[in-house]
Amino acid sequence: MAARETNPHFMNGVPELLILRLLQQDEMYGYEIVQAIQSRTGAVIAVGEGVVYPVLHGLKRDGALSSRRKTVNGRTRIYYCVTPAGSHRLADLAATWSTLTAAIKDMLTGGPNGEAVQRPA
Amino acid sequence: MAKLFNDLRERLLRAGVARASVRLYLAELADHLADLTEAERRAGRGRAAADAAALFRLGEADGLAKAMIERRQFQAWSARAPWAIFGLAPLVLLAGAYLGAGLILWSGWKMFLPWADTPFVPIHGPAVVYFGLGKLAYFGAPLVIGWTVGMIAARQRSNAVWPMVGLMPVALIAGAVQFHAVRSPPAGAAYRVWMDVPLAGMAGALLHSVEIFLITATPYVIWRLARARLPDRPAA
Repeated sequence: MAARETNPHFMNGVPELLILRLLQQDEMYGYEIVQAIQSRTGAVIAVGEGVVYPVLHGLKRDGALSSRRKTVNGRTRIYYCVTPAGSHRLADLAATWSTLTAAIKDMLTGGPNGEAVQRPA
Repeated sequence: MAKLFNDLRERLLRAGVARASVRLYLAELADHLADLTEAERRAGRGRAAADAAALFRLGEADGLAKAMIERRQFQAWSARAPWAIFGLAPLVLLAGAYLGAGLILWSGWKMFLPWADTPFVPIHGPAVVYFGLGKLAYFGAPLVIGWTVGMIAARQRSNAVWPMVGLMPVALIAGAVQFHAVRSPPAGAAYRVWMDVPLAGMAGALLHSVEIFLITATPYVIWRLARARLPDRPAA
């Protein structure tokens, strides 16, 4: 059985970021995407697998992804890949994410602004 | 599994998710579930255990539904703006159909009956077909529009109030308005075609409106009654 889903409070926007990153390298269909996320994150990130499709469809509607049907081993699959608009979106999301995680890491480890959260003596 | 998808379809449609989005979502979920089941079988599970594990990995119905419902971009227009789809659009379409019917009446009068003071006289030959198109638009439009309203409401599982709100004004207008066509004196002057609501025959008009309402609403009402009796129908 799959691991429990990752705490949803920390997952806002994460599936979108990961999907765009994966699809920038290669076109994939939904099942492949979910397996790739699990294997490449060491199963740290786990979502209800079906939940990936609303993200894919939303990105496609926004023009960040394109799709095509392909028949493989007698089954029709919908393969998704990133559009130029999707690449821009990925760059924006990745930059935002990096800034955010760096700031949170600083807070947690008492970096440059870490003293701001220390209790007064 | 069929029950899961059937329930999910109903929940999504009732929540206003567009039919095309629901269809695509369910198709991909079904494919995904088949892949998961296959993977679980390859991992050595028995059939029942593989099915259960695959369903668990796919996610709970609540989560699957919520993921679609909370994205407004998947909402059908009949859910985003029901007043426009059920209230405004039928009236605009009816007005368009009546405009078309009026143009056919006016142009046909000039083409086929230029000598007549009114186009409402016995006609023959190609004029029958030409004026027939106008009659089709005039008499047929309210019915087609009404049935379409009912069909949209049924397909999207809309609240029953909305199609009724849409059908009533269409039926009232269609039952009440009449075309008039008279050549204004002196003879040979302009061909005038207009529509109005004759106050003299209001009782008859009201009866006609009720007839149109019943004809257009009946298929939708029958569909609702049939669904109410078969709540757990198999997946289409």
